[in-house]
Amino acid sequence: MANTETTLKEALASIEGATGVALVDYTSGMALGTMGGSKGFDLNVAAAGNTDVVRAKMRTMEHLGLKAQIEDILITLSDQYHLIRLISGRGGNGLFLYLVLDAKRANLAMARHQLKKIEEDLEV
Amino acid sequence: MAAEATAAEAEILDELRRLRARVPQLTGALAAGVDGLVLAQDTPGVEAERVAALTATARGLALQLTDATGHGDFRELLVRGVYGCVATYAAGRYAVLTLLAQDRVNVGRLHLEGRRAGARIGQLVDAHAEAADRTPATSPAKSPKPAAKATRTPADAPATEAAAKPAAKTTTRTRTARAARGQTANARTTTES
Repeated sequence: MANTETTLKEALASIEGATGVALVDYTSGMALGTMGGSKGFDLNVAAAGNTDVVRAKMRTMEHLGLKAQIEDILITLSDQYHLIRLISGRGGNGLFLYLVLDAKRANLAMARHQLKKIEEDLEV
Repeated sequence: MAAEATAAEAEILDELRRLRARVPQLTGALAAGVDGLVLAQDTPGVEAERVAALTATARGLALQLTDATGHGDFRELLVRGVYGCVATYAAGRYAVLTLLAQDRVNVGRLHLEGRRAGARIGQLVDAHAEAADRTPATSPAKSPKPAAKATRTPADAPATEAAAKPAAKTTTRTRTARAARGQTANARTTTES
């Protein structure tokens, strides 16, 4: 079991190509914690914006009558991957992990796999 | 002065409308002076004058709280009710921005947009206050300090009013002397349409 701080550190350190990570509460759009990012990349802005992404997807699924849970959402930019992983169980409901990857350095399959492991270990 | 004031009000109103377009869950937006008078409002179904007065009171209390705890000047205030929330952001030296939102609002986004809009409205209001300050260079009354309202009594109100008027707000409404806050909150009238 890992707390928020450790989880963010681990994600940033162990996932190849990770440049920023945030744990976000999508009921409020605010980040519980952020790590990495840069002056030009404000993870709090990303947290608020991607909350809308998650909410929109959930609403769409509801309208479609889909009962399944979202595991993750991948957004592919020309030079980055943004990975959103919803947290399931252990009071983690309403939270997601948001990971920014440098597309040139990252291994997407590996990153997804590692993020899943990290998420499973997280205790909020 | 009147035309200038209207221009400022229109600019603030533009900002409020933009804000409401960017955050769809907003149910109202309002810019008020720190003295509790409405500068510009877009709050359908809500009594703006009352909200502005309450905002000023809440800001005063919040300021005391941050002061007492050594956390400096007022920046923002969030109140959540069962059905929605009210957020107030500092907007320069003389104004605050109050936003009303549904409960399901993205608070993270509300903060981001509210802070930005607060800063912009603050620039507008401060610029106008300073411009008005410079014009009557010999005027003894400087800018409308928040503290001024506390010391103003009905007797000296007309004099202060006349001197402070150009610097006062970006609108030209007439002000009445302040009595106890609770009673005037509803009775206060403005020329706001």
